[in-house]
Amino acid sequence: MENLLEIKNLHAKIGEKEILKGINLTIKPGEVHAIMGRNGSGKSTLSAVLAGNQNYTVTEGSINYLGKDLLKMSPEERSWAGIFLGFQYPVEIPGVTNVNFMKTAVNEHRKQNNLPPLSAAEYLKMMREKMAYVEMDPSFSSRGVNVGFSGGEKKRNEIFQMAMLSPRLAILDETDSGLDVDALRIVANGVNRLKREDNAFVVITHYQRLLDYIVPDIVHVLYKGKIVKTAGKELAAEVEKHGYEEFEK
Amino acid sequence: MAEFKYIPQSEIFNCSVELSGAKKFYVLDGKPMGFSAKDGLIEIPSEGDLLTQVIFVRTTPHPSSYKVRILCPAGSSRAVILCAHTTGTDRYVTEESVEIAMEENSNLSLIVMQNENGASSHHSTFEISQKGSSSVSMNIITLHGGNIANRVNCNLNGKRAEAHLSGLYLAGGEQNIDTTVNMRHNSGECTSNQLFKGILGGNARTSFKGEVYVAKDSQKTEAYQANNNLLISDTARAISDPHLVIYADDVKCSHGSTVGSLADEELFYMRSRGISEPEAKLLQQQAFAGAVLEKISNIEIRERLSRLVERRLRGEDTLCTGCAKRCC
Ligand SMILES: Nc1ncnc2c1ncn2[C@@H]1O[C@H](COP(=O)(O)OP(=O)(O)OP(=O)(O)O)[C@@H](O)[C@H]1O
Ligand SMILES: [Mg+2]
Repeated sequence: MENLLEIKNLHAKIGEKEILKGINLTIKPGEVHAIMGRNGSGKSTLSAVLAGNQNYTVTEGSINYLGKDLLKMSPEERSWAGIFLGFQYPVEIPGVTNVNFMKTAVNEHRKQNNLPPLSAAEYLKMMREKMAYVEMDPSFSSRGVNVGFSGGEKKRNEIFQMAMLSPRLAILDETDSGLDVDALRIVANGVNRLKREDNAFVVITHYQRLLDYIVPDIVHVLYKGKIVKTAGKELAAEVEKHGYEEFEK
Repeated sequence: MAEFKYIPQSEIFNCSVELSGAKKFYVLDGKPMGFSAKDGLIEIPSEGDLLTQVIFVRTTPHPSSYKVRILCPAGSSRAVILCAHTTGTDRYVTEESVEIAMEENSNLSLIVMQNENGASSHHSTFEISQKGSSSVSMNIITLHGGNIANRVNCNLNGKRAEAHLSGLYLAGGEQNIDTTVNMRHNSGECTSNQLFKGILGGNARTSFKGEVYVAKDSQKTEAYQANNNLLISDTARAISDPHLVIYADDVKCSHGSTVGSLADEELFYMRSRGISEPEAKLLQQQAFAGAVLEKISNIEIRERLSRLVERRLRGEDTLCTGCAKRCC
């Protein structure tokens, strides 16, 4: 099958500091990839570059997404094309309600597909349905985006947004950290419900725990800006047991 | 803020989108139409429970200077909206002074809406004097104008008087908007609140100068003052100068001011959800303005002004939905 994403020799820096030092990664539709790696190894940097964060400069390499040069696309174009990043630290936007935020997002996606905007009632129905995916109370919709949300509530809100936008390629950056066991199960169920043959997930995590629920096809270990090991799901258990020392050579 | 082209309002001014429960009056170039002015003083009529809407329109290029008075008798409750407009592209010069006299236990909800062309100049002074337990809430919404100066002198002269002042100024192009607030706590146990916010684009210049003065014997005063400015362009400049002068010792007072630009992190977050850059910026500006618009208690006026603010920020003409004229 055609590749969804092809990253070749990707180098990226922030300021003068090089963080990604030659990443190679290929993702096919239907796959679930897990990325593990020490704090500071560059996992969030990779997700930020994939989502188009302009604070990072790509100095070398290429990213091909569904036959297009991803690096030439703006963040919103990437979203329209089906890329979704679940933020490690979701951003608070005071004064913009969750409902207004997501309604604007959904309708911009529809506009790109030449669809008319959803009516208030249609939107509400869709929102209620997707909020139920992550057992989120509808009262969250009238609050400012992530404002005053607890750590776990913010993560659920990320999965809710993902459900609303139904992406082709979702990158979930430590969506599991800060979640209690129930929330972890809820979030994982949300992801599993959204899995299709034509979409793919990249799950960034420090813990085997999440991967018990969202079973990855392929696990990568990122070390100092490079993927140093790629294997099946058993690699996650190995990392959990022995840590990252063996990859440091 | 998108580049905005002010569209002059129709020659014969007549707003077709009525505010419900309102009685409307016009003042043309300082002359009241169909109601009288005594000794050159325009007395804002009181219409019982109705909202009094007074529309000030400039039509001729001669400078116009007039005096307005709003009387709030003891125990009364009034709602007034004053709108200022220009009909053409001439340079209108307007000097306006508004006297607001509030007797004991009176209540006034006042909205001042300003939408004038970019060549005009409009200076307003609001002189508010408040007796005991009176309460005023005043919102100044400046959508557009050339050279605008609003000065509010508020005197809390009786115990337990309250003043809630807020303002939103949108300035683009070569606009200049100055706000001066002088809040005087001359009596104890009074409360005052100020929230003034500005969104600046183009080469706009704005200033906010605010003073809260608490007299020596005005104990148990509560006074808050905030001015926040959002710069949308690199060439806009906002000056913010709030200060407190306090002679009493048992008071709760605070003031603060900010001049900032749009938050990049928020923008990226929104764009990563597929909200285009201009739309994301607009959402941020609306969120910023929202804190002032929220303070407007009349829901119909609040919604109408929110729509006008949105259109203004989008660079569209400020036209009410369902209206064929270009008045406000
Ligand atoms: N603005 C910046 N200036 C300098 N260094 C930065 C900046 N932002 C990130 N870095 C550095 O880049 C490196 C990679 O950070 P990144 O957030 O990608 O790590 P991570 O793998 O996601 O870590 P974690 O597991 O802790 O989330 C870190 O060493 C970090 O300190
Ligand atoms: Mg990280």
